[in-house]
Order: sequence, then structure tokens, then C-alpha cells
Amino acid sequence: MNNKFEALKAEDSSGSGDEEIEKQEPESPPRPPPKPGPGEHPLQYNYGFWYSRKSQGNKSASYDANLKLIGTFASVEQFWRHYCHIARPSDLNGHTDYHLFKEGIRPMWEDSANKNGGKWIIRLKKGLASRCWENLIMAMLGEQFMVGEEICGAVISIRYAEDILSLWNRTANDGVTTARIRDTLKRVLNLPPNTVMEYKTHVDSIKDNSSFRNTDVFMR
Amino acid sequence: MTEKGSPARLHAGREIPHRAIADISNLPNDYSTTPGGSIFSTTPGGSRIFYERNFLMQCRNSPLAKTPPRNMAHIPGITTPGDVDIPKENGVVEPKGAKPQKVEGAEEHPQFEMDI
Repeated sequence: MNNKFEALKAEDSSGSGDEEIEKQEPESPPRPPPKPGPGEHPLQYNYGFWYSRKSQGNKSASYDANLKLIGTFASVEQFWRHYCHIARPSDLNGHTDYHLFKEGIRPMWEDSANKNGGKWIIRLKKGLASRCWENLIMAMLGEQFMVGEEICGAVISIRYAEDILSLWNRTANDGVTTARIRDTLKRVLNLPPNTVMEYKTHVDSIKDNSSFRNTDVFMR
Repeated sequence: MTEKGSPARLHAGREIPHRAIADISNLPNDYSTTPGGSIFSTTPGGSRIFYERNFLMQCRNSPLAKTPPRNMAHIPGITTPGDVDIPKENGVVEPKGAKPQKVEGAEEHPQFEMDI
């Protein structure tokens, strides 16, 4: 199952492994933290919606430079306001990612919240991205994973031959947590029992500068 | 209030069970909690805000969820703050008149509910 998609290899690297050194402050959020408005339903956490697209001309442009914060929100209603004004994943093309992360966590391997973490990976046939992404973020925003502070964020990656869902957590070596996340993913995404699930630590991603290659594969 | 079997008769004589707990360790683990912590708990750090998918989907139809977000980054082809018509990915703009009226069910519908 690994390395099945050769086409991915060439373009698969969405981390900024080559720039651990310059720990530049992100264009420090000029926006104040969001607050639930009157009558709105607060979320357990505030979140940020991010977008990234691999630049076509300048291949060496860093991942970080291609990462754009679309907006932040603190309530269910504010989430929908954003979501309804953002193109659906299945309407995207090219090497594009949406990231939905807790406020204060950048969707980067090197972020302090992520550096000891990892992610579950689910590869989707073309055509399923929008629905699966929606189900995943509903579960995350609704706190369905029951793993305390462990969840960092979710990603949908639009690629050439497939689309890939990822769910990032803080502590890669916490087996109880990662197993619970895996089981909840199966439930909320309605995955068939024989679905292959892959896990990759961000440390490994930094090492091979790849998001989706050389993963640990879990068969049910 | 005047049903045939009043609660008093149906449950006559049954006392509320009383268990004495000598030590906190005698408490069952699941005492008064839901998995992952109780929804109703109000202790700091112990309360979580859970939402079921269906509830979240319902909120989508709330007027509060329809106003375009302020402060949203404008990314051509990706975000459309305040706009109603969305150009398609290939650059073809939907003809204005031919826009089908959306019939709403909460689920499995296009993400662009632009009726403001």
C-alpha cells in the first residue's frame, strides 16, 4: 500500500524540513482571538482555517511561505460562516491542502505542539474528499475523539491520483491515544473494516521530508 | 396528574438506594461521568463542549451562520468573502439566471449556501 502512487513521490513533501533553523515568527496574527457572538454555540477550542498550495513556478518556495491563514473562529456559527465561503475540497485541483488547526498551532511538523506528534493518514479515492473532510472536521469540532488535549488539527490534501485525510495529534508514542483516535476515525468516517490506516510521526516526516511516504501501516 | 396508576402506587415502598462510601477509592470509575469526562461537569478542565454531527449540521441553517465572515483572507478561487456567485475552478462563471434554486436538506448538499 505504501508507495503505491508513484506520481505522489515527486510532489509529496509538504513540510519545511530544510528550514528548522530560521524559526521566524509567523506573520504574527494581526487578528484578535475570535470570540463566540451572542446566541452562538461556543466550541471547546478556537480554530484557524489554513490553505496551502504548492507553488508551480518556484519549486523551492518553502512550505511555510505557501501557507495562508484564511480565518479563525470560536463558535459553530462562525465555523459555518467560513466554511460556506471556501471552495469545497473536491473543487480544488493541483497540489492543494486545507488545514483546520487549533488556534495557536501552525500546521507544521516543527510547531511546538506538533514536534513530538504524528498523524493518522487515510487515503481516499477521488470523489470522496468533500464528504470525508466534512465528517472529519465535524467530529473534531464536536470533540468526538475524547483524547483530551491531544488533537492538533486536521488536513485534507488534494493530490494527483488520490486525496488524503490526516489527523494530527500531539504525542506520537502514546499508543492508547492513537488507538482511540484511529477507532473514532473509523466510526465517524464510516470506514470499511478492512481499511488500511497509516500512521507517521512528524519526526520521521522531517527526516525524509515527506508527509505520506514510509508510513507505518495498520491493517484491521 | 390523575392517571390510573399514580407514581406513588407503582413505586410504593421503594426507597432510594443508599450506599455509604467509606473511601474515595470505593467509587466506581464511571461514577457520574461520560467517557472522556462529563458533559455536565463544571470543574475547571473537566468540562468539555461536545456536539453531535447532526446538531452541527442544523446550525448551518441558522441565520447567524449565513453572514459572510469578517476578516477572512481573500484567495482567488478559494475564498469568496461576501460574494454570492462562485466562479468554477476552470474559470467558467455560472450563468446568473440559470442558477438552480437550492432545495434544502441539511446534508449532502453543495457547500456553497450563499443565500444571505
